[in-house]
Amino acid sequence: MIKKILNNFQVGVLAVSSFITSIVVLLIIIFLFKEGSGVFSKSLLEDGYVLVVNSRNTVNSIAPKDIKNIFDQKIISWKELGGADSAIQLFSIDDISEYYSEEQIGSDLEYMDTCINNYIVNHPSVLAYFPKKNIAKKFNGKEIKVGTMGLYEFVKGREWLPTARPVVQMGILPLILGTLMVSLGAILLALPFGLVTAIYMAEIAHPVWRRIMKPVIELLAGIPSVVFGFFGLIVIVPMVQKVCHIDVGETALAGSIVLGIMALPTIISIAEDAIRNVPNNMREASLALGATQWQTIRSVVIPYAKSGIWAGIILGVGRAVGETMAVLMVTGNASNMPTTFLQPVRTIPATIAAELGETSAGGLHYSALFALGCVLFLMTMVLNVYVQVALKKKSK
Amino acid sequence: MADTKRIKQSIYFWIFRAMSMMVVFILVAILYFIVSRGIGVINWDFLTKSPEEGMVKGGIFPAIVGTLVLIAGSLIFAFPVGVFSAIYLNEYMKKGKVKSFLQLMTNNLAGVPSVVFGLFGMALFVNKLKFGDSIIAGSLTLGLLVLPVIIRTTEEALKAVDDNYRLASYAMGASKLYTIKKVILPIALPDIITGLILSIGRVSGETAPILFTVAAYFLPKLPHSIFDQVMALPYHLYVLATSGTNIEKARPVAFGTALVLVMIVLFTNIIANVVRAYYNKKYKK
Amino acid sequence: MKKVALGFALLLSVAANAQNIKVKGSDTILPIAQEEASVFNKSGKGTVSVTGGGSGVGLASLVDNTTDIAASSRKIKMEEKIKLTNAGKKVKEVVIGNDALSVIVNPSNKVTKLTREQLEGIFTGKIKNWKEVGGADMNIVAYSRESSSGTFEFFKDHVMNKKNFGSSVLSMPATGAIVQSVAQTAGAIGYIGMAYDNPKVRQLAVSYDGKNYVEPTRENARSGKYPVVRPLYLYYSTTNEGKVKPFIDFILSKEGQKIVDKVGFIAI
Repeated sequence: MIKKILNNFQVGVLAVSSFITSIVVLLIIIFLFKEGSGVFSKSLLEDGYVLVVNSRNTVNSIAPKDIKNIFDQKIISWKELGGADSAIQLFSIDDISEYYSEEQIGSDLEYMDTCINNYIVNHPSVLAYFPKKNIAKKFNGKEIKVGTMGLYEFVKGREWLPTARPVVQMGILPLILGTLMVSLGAILLALPFGLVTAIYMAEIAHPVWRRIMKPVIELLAGIPSVVFGFFGLIVIVPMVQKVCHIDVGETALAGSIVLGIMALPTIISIAEDAIRNVPNNMREASLALGATQWQTIRSVVIPYAKSGIWAGIILGVGRAVGETMAVLMVTGNASNMPTTFLQPVRTIPATIAAELGETSAGGLHYSALFALGCVLFLMTMVLNVYVQVALKKKSK
Repeated sequence: MADTKRIKQSIYFWIFRAMSMMVVFILVAILYFIVSRGIGVINWDFLTKSPEEGMVKGGIFPAIVGTLVLIAGSLIFAFPVGVFSAIYLNEYMKKGKVKSFLQLMTNNLAGVPSVVFGLFGMALFVNKLKFGDSIIAGSLTLGLLVLPVIIRTTEEALKAVDDNYRLASYAMGASKLYTIKKVILPIALPDIITGLILSIGRVSGETAPILFTVAAYFLPKLPHSIFDQVMALPYHLYVLATSGTNIEKARPVAFGTALVLVMIVLFTNIIANVVRAYYNKKYKK
Repeated sequence: MKKVALGFALLLSVAANAQNIKVKGSDTILPIAQEEASVFNKSGKGTVSVTGGGSGVGLASLVDNTTDIAASSRKIKMEEKIKLTNAGKKVKEVVIGNDALSVIVNPSNKVTKLTREQLEGIFTGKIKNWKEVGGADMNIVAYSRESSSGTFEFFKDHVMNKKNFGSSVLSMPATGAIVQSVAQTAGAIGYIGMAYDNPKVRQLAVSYDGKNYVEPTRENARSGKYPVVRPLYLYYSTTNEGKVKPFIDFILSKEGQKIVDKVGFIAI
């Protein structure tokens, strides 16, 4: 009896274990999306602050992008926002001492609130930016509402200024494009070499050579990405700068080269497995018909192994898309819209790794980085599921 | 006609040979680069002393200890869970939707980028469960990362066991659990161990997952409890390569650290291959 | 099972008993904190451990009690203050030294001085070529720190008049990487804490009024002539004052301030 319970208990432990990966995947999804969705519900205005105009100002709301341009002094008149034809006067709380004496503000800042209020009342074209707690009890200004961000603006926005004040700019399009560009470049570089090497190892090379090459490539697969990044920083970046005669070596190209080298082992080992799984009688039949070994490889072996080779390529892309440390160290991380490979780019994983440490947990920036994690997760998930479905079809 | 075919083939083969050699050359060149620059730095002091003078002098002992602690911590969790999971999947579950769903999820977990593990570890272990930046948070995050690796290698190992062993054991009246424990696992053990050793290499090199869950920039003391932070080799290399007040002076230390990391991977690979070769000879023939 | 529980309890008790002052935060302050800690530890008055991660990390850790002192290279933000208040904590702020930010270029660059307006133009992306500021005909490659670092924020507030950086500016994860890249790149410009100065790069004189250019030397920074100087802060919870006071007093002492100077920062 006891033995049976014990037995069932042990099998139960095994069964529970087998569900853990699924649970973890679900938990990852839940946590990423829960934290990430905060980006759409939190105000783009810095927490605890307000934007205020004079109560007679006809402007009621300003788009986040325009607010940034006002503070960058690219928009200078209310006219451009549909208001009166007068220059915008910016006021932030640090400026208060320029307008009011210490006595007026009070030694314990007790009259600060009134001073701010007075300033706003006296300046019809003011745009003031100060902490919410400094709103006076009898307040005569008009608060400008800054809304939240929608999914469309998040994905299509072209500016990534997550710490801009008073209003952040969180457009991830340059980051998405940067990620895709670096990964695509990596695969274009790695693909010919990876496939050729796989074919060579599986079909052409002497078994002794194969036995030497295989462990070298396996070893390469195990080398940490930070070591590749270090190598890229010291060797590839200066090399790219010299060879391409460009101003700066930290470019998408440098990232693609480093990632290409890192993707090689994945592509080679999966493609090689696929080629070696081609039944021998296919080869023999082709050779018996008088085809050369090359013709056999080209018209029999490769077509047969195609789906396996595809799997290798896609998994290589997946590895490149998610790669963090190596990219962070060599691509320069400028968040502009990428146009050429000879330009610095910023990828999603590098952004997360570089910025998460400095954010305050639960804030808008923190949520935005989790939302980036969601995007990254979805990108790799799609690739993964695609590969598995493709392989399954093949095995049937 | 036959001649042109031959010539064409040999041209193609030479191109293939040249490109493959280039790949091997690149790989060997990277290894040579790290080894040749790092080897001069490594000595007993480097391996057993704490960093000094803004990390340009002294050794990397705390980082080595930290990485060893993280390897142990993550595998204590991931190894049993991974092996149990593989046993259940391979020995108990029948082919069907549930099984293929579970395998799909395992493969998906394997494809999750390491930085996403970092985010997840931070959200769940550091913030939600309030472990803070700690060995336990980092180990669990790394453990989840290698879990699919262990499950896969164990599954492969179990599949490779000839069904006749199972049938013979049942025929003698042994229970399923008994058969697994006394017959199947011993045969599959070398391959399972190989998977375990390879995952050591993986755990030791990951940076992104530990960035926000455990890694400390400078912590000359060794950890006292599982709620302490530790330094770790990959993060230390990242720090040496990008920050610090004098990067030039820190270069030798960085090369030394990179070499130690590569050595860990190299040794685990060699040991794994030796184990595999030894047992293959002993049992499978 | 009992053994495991016992072991766990033991670990916990060790964690609780270690009367160890934890400092966490800004990577800029790390060299100071690290050196102060190692001298303080030798004095036998207590033990201090130092970890980096960034100003934000340090202040966040103050909220959930995972550090005793938060080191920050910027003033505490309103949202962080609100969070601390919500957690029922009052924090005290101590300035332990100053850091001068200097602008660096590649040594091959002929430009030796820039005005604040010119710097603003360069880092917002308006000025793209060195010849616009009196240099050779060469593209400008501007390097910045990551947008979340305290150094970045200070430079933006005080040099760029709070304007946003142009999107073509490269951002580096750490100051050391900026020094490295500027040394390698002919057209590069970047900004660093003075402690990171290195013979492989050249510092520029800066003018805020367009007439008087000031070299970023320690003397000029101390006397207040050099304009881009920022204070370095430590924050701690008032409930913890008894525990952290000895270490803070040590940093503010003559001996402690000597260390601040030695590491390359400016004592108060």
